[in-house]
Amino acid sequence: MQKKSNPSCPGKRGIPLASRNELSAFLQSVERRAFKQAVYAVRDDDSALDITQDAMLRLTERYGNRPAAELPLLFQRILQNAIRDWFRRQKVRNLWVTLFSALTPAGREDDDQDPLETLQATQGSNAQGAAGDLLERTQIIEIIEQEIRQLPERQRQAFLLRYWDEFDVAETARAMGCSEGSVKTHCSRATHALAIALKGRGITL
Amino acid sequence: MNEQQFANKVRGALDQATLRVDPVIVERLRAARERALEGRRPERVSALAWADNVLGGIGGLGGLWLRLVLPAIFVVLSVAAIYTWQQKQRLAEIEEIDAELLTDDLPIDAYLDRGFEAWLKKRAAR
Repeated sequence: MQKKSNPSCPGKRGIPLASRNELSAFLQSVERRAFKQAVYAVRDDDSALDITQDAMLRLTERYGNRPAAELPLLFQRILQNAIRDWFRRQKVRNLWVTLFSALTPAGREDDDQDPLETLQATQGSNAQGAAGDLLERTQIIEIIEQEIRQLPERQRQAFLLRYWDEFDVAETARAMGCSEGSVKTHCSRATHALAIALKGRGITL
Repeated sequence: MNEQQFANKVRGALDQATLRVDPVIVERLRAARERALEGRRPERVSALAWADNVLGGIGGLGGLWLRLVLPAIFVVLSVAAIYTWQQKQRLAEIEEIDAELLTDDLPIDAYLDRGFEAWLKKRAAR
């Protein structure tokens, strides 16, 4: 997806120094969060890294000299698009993989890793080892991350944009390309689902 | 607890989760950021990763061998076998016709005769 030449946005070396520093600081402040958001969506570190990297590149190439205040929303829109593109490509790829797999009936079943398995493993090791506060805290964070992953795509997207990236409803709606009403619905459903799921696993925040 | 308070607590946990990102990934993110700031595309890493993913999806090189190369060899061999068999069949047919011609009472020159040809056609048409 190459950008067409656009005289109004100087790509590559055309970024002024001040803006370059701002951009650098901005990317530094969001890169881990962006990576995590991609991981929650695609559930694979390498793909999430590719997506984050691609989003950063698109931001600097196309919007390198935009005012710093606009960057968060622009970046999120690019990131969400990149994730959506990834899912589209994945669909095509899966089709081919399915076709290839059909040639030999014995398909590998270990691709779909059950997140509960890894959780049970950590819980087990915790019970044996010293169950310190830190460990418990780590576990709670892991469980929260797992439950965020379990949320439906749009709910998770809305919840994270709204409460993690701290966008307001209008900004979230723009980043997601939907109405403000949908954002509110998605957010409230996500919050309820998350609260119930966490309670079910014995966690009260 | 209302939605905002609950969300704040979740955000706290998620913020902590970002601090626990694997150092290798943190380093790769830093490299990606610098590349992005220089406005340069990564060196085909994604394409390789994609190819690797596809390979991984069909069970690595062993899987590739099993699921792609072997069936391909099989198909090529089958086509070759069918072609050879067909050629043999054609030769056999020609041989048979030749043998019939040769063992026929009719002299071979009769087939070159125009009148005989016309008579054969007329007979076939009937």
